[in-house]
Amino acid sequence: MQILAQLIASGIAVGMIYGVIAFGYQLTFATSKTLNFGQGEALMLGSLVGWTVVAVTGYLIMLPIVLAFGLLQGAVVERLGVRQAIKTKSEAGWIMATIALGIIFKNLAENIWGRDALKFPSPLPEAPLSFMGVNVLPMEVAIVVGALAMMLAVEVFNRRSIYGKAVVATAVDRDAAGLMGINTSLVITFSYALSSMTAAFAGVLVAPVTLTGASMGGVLGLKAFSVAIIGGLSSGMGVVVGGLILGITETLTGYYISTGYKDVPGLVLLLLVLTLKPAGLFGRATIKKV
Amino acid sequence: MRASNLFLTLVATTMLAGVASAQSIKIGLTGPYTGGSASMGVSMRDGAKLAVTEINKAGGVMGRQLVVIERDDEAKNEVGVQIAQELINKEQVVATLGFINTGVALASQRFYQEAEIPVLNNVATGTLITGQFLPPKEKANYIFRMSANDTIQSAMIVEEAIKRRGFKAPAILADSTNYGQLGRTDLEAALAKAGVKAVAVEKFNIGDTDMTSQLLRAKSANADVILTYGIGPELAQIANGMAKLGWKLPMIGSWTLSMATFIDNAGANGDGASMPQTFIQIPNTPKRKSFIEAYQAAYKVDRFPSPVSAAQGYDSVYVLAAAIAQAKSTEGPKIRAALENLQTKVEGVMTTYDNPFSATDHEAVTYNMPVFGVVRNGRVVAAHEEDVIGDKALRLKTK
Repeated sequence: MQILAQLIASGIAVGMIYGVIAFGYQLTFATSKTLNFGQGEALMLGSLVGWTVVAVTGYLIMLPIVLAFGLLQGAVVERLGVRQAIKTKSEAGWIMATIALGIIFKNLAENIWGRDALKFPSPLPEAPLSFMGVNVLPMEVAIVVGALAMMLAVEVFNRRSIYGKAVVATAVDRDAAGLMGINTSLVITFSYALSSMTAAFAGVLVAPVTLTGASMGGVLGLKAFSVAIIGGLSSGMGVVVGGLILGITETLTGYYISTGYKDVPGLVLLLLVLTLKPAGLFGRATIKKV
Repeated sequence: MRASNLFLTLVATTMLAGVASAQSIKIGLTGPYTGGSASMGVSMRDGAKLAVTEINKAGGVMGRQLVVIERDDEAKNEVGVQIAQELINKEQVVATLGFINTGVALASQRFYQEAEIPVLNNVATGTLITGQFLPPKEKANYIFRMSANDTIQSAMIVEEAIKRRGFKAPAILADSTNYGQLGRTDLEAALAKAGVKAVAVEKFNIGDTDMTSQLLRAKSANADVILTYGIGPELAQIANGMAKLGWKLPMIGSWTLSMATFIDNAGANGDGASMPQTFIQIPNTPKRKSFIEAYQAAYKVDRFPSPVSAAQGYDSVYVLAAAIAQAKSTEGPKIRAALENLQTKVEGVMTTYDNPFSATDHEAVTYNMPVFGVVRNGRVVAAHEEDVIGDKALRLKTK
C-alpha cells in the first residue's frame, strides 16, 4: 500500500512536469491551429537562462527575467517560423520551421552552456518530506503547485481581461474575430509568446529535479507531446489529466511489470486514444470545413 | 656538365634528407571534446598534449617534433568514421590516440586496421575493442588499449561488493545503451562466478529523471547494495532518488561514477559512491606528483574533470613515443611490432610500463592494477587507504 502510494506520488510529480510543458502546446494550438515543435527547446532555453541568472540574483528575482525571456523567444519563433506559413495557408511549413528553430536553439545552447548536464540550485530544501511513509521532495510539491497556479493564471487572464478575450475570440473563430477588429495575427504572436513563457517557467520549475542542460528539451518535449495528444490539444484541463495519467502509468508499469517496459504503456495509450478518440480524452471534436 | 648535374642531384638529395629529418611526426588525437562525455574527452586530450609538450621540449622523438592533430568525434559513430578517414588519408598520421566511447571506437578502428596504422585506445572500456581484428584471421592486430576494460571493471566491482565489503543481495541498475547493457552482462557473469545472483536487475533510459520504480523494485527485493553501469547524469538521478525515498544504499559501479556530471549533480547524495580507478588524484609516486602539478599549472584547474582519462591520455603518448623511438621509423607495421615488444621501460602516471603489450595481448591494464576510488566531498579519493600506500602505490602489470 505504501509502495503504491509512493509510486503514485512520484508519478504525479513526473506527470505534472509533462503536463506543464504540454500546456504550452495547447496555448498556440487554440489560436492558430499550429504547434511549436520546439517547445522542449523553449523549456531548455528558459531553464538555462534561469541557471545563469539565478547565480547572480537568486530564485525569485530570476523568475520575471526568465518569463520576459520566454515571451520574447516565443515571439521570435512565431515571427520567423510560423507567420509565413499561416499567411500562405501552408499545411506543413510551420512544422518544419518550428522543428528547425528548435534544432538551432539547441545548437546555440550547446555552444553557450556546453553539453553537460548542469545542476540547478534548488530554492527549497532538498531533504524529502514524509507524509505517512510517502516521501516527496519539497521541489516536487512546488512543481505541482507552481504548474497549477500558472495554468490558472493563464486561464483567468484569458477569461477576464480584454486581451484574453481577444485570444479566446481568435481561438473560437479567427475570421470572425478579425472582422470584429481584433488584430488576429498579433494575437497569434502573443499566444506563441505566452506559450514559450509557460515553457520557460516550466523549465526553471522542473530543473532543480530534472537537472538542466542543452539536451533536456528532447525527451521531455516528446513526452509532453504525447500528453497533449492523450489529453486533447484543445483543453487546458486535458493536458493536466493527460500528464498525470502518463506519469502514473510510467511509474506503475516500471514497478509492477518491468523497468525495461516503462515507456510502453504510455505509447499504447497514445495509440488507443488516437484510434478511439482522436481529439484526445478531453478534446472537443471539431468539424473541419474544407 | 655531367659533374654539375651530379652536384645538383647531390644537393637536392641532401636537401630532401634534411627536410625529412626536420619533418614532424603527426599523431591523431580523437575523442568527444563536446557533448555528454566531453569531460572525459577533454581531460584525455589535455593529458596527451601535456605529454607531447614535455617530449618536444626534451628534443622530440628521433630528433623530430611530435605534432598532434586533434579532432572532435562528438561521441558519434559516423563522425568518428569520417575523422578516421581524414586522419589516415589527408593528415597521414603515424598513429592515433583516443576514443572515449566504445561505439565510436568499434566503428572507426577498421580504417586504421586496414591502413596498418596503430591505435592506442586510452579511455574506451568495451571488452570487444581489442578483439575486433585478431590474428590469424588478420595479419596482425593494430588496436591496443591503455584503460581497464569492462571485464576487469565488473570483476572488480563484484570483488569489492561481495568479497571485500560482504554485501549479499546486489541490485543492478544499468542504462539501456550498449555501454550499460554490455556492462550489465559482464556484471551478471562476474556475480555468477562469485556464486551470487542479483536480486533485481533494472534498466533506465538516457534522460530519465525519475528512478522511483527502479529503486522501489530494488528495495522490495531487499537489496543491500546498488551496482551501476551508466553515465553521469542518470547515475546522479539514482543517488538523488535514493535520498528522496529516504533509503540510502551504497553505490558501487563502473568508473563513470567518477564523472564530474555525477559528482556535481548528486552533490552530498553521491558521497560514498565507489568505482574502479586506474589513477586517483593523489601524489603517491614522484611521477604522479609532477604530473598533477604540471596539469594543474597548464590548465589552471584544481580538480581534474576526469583524472583517469587525463592520466591514460598522458601515458599513451609516452608509450607511443617509446615505440616510435625503438622502431626508428614511422611506418605503422614497425611501430606495431615495437609496441608488441617494447624494450624500454616507460615510467608513466598510471604505472611503469615494462613490456606492456605482446603479439597476443594488447591490454596494458590487468586486474591487479586499478584501485577503488570513492566520492568524498565532491572529489574522488582512495576507498581503501592501504591500497595506495607503500609498495602498493605503483602497481605493475602481471605477466
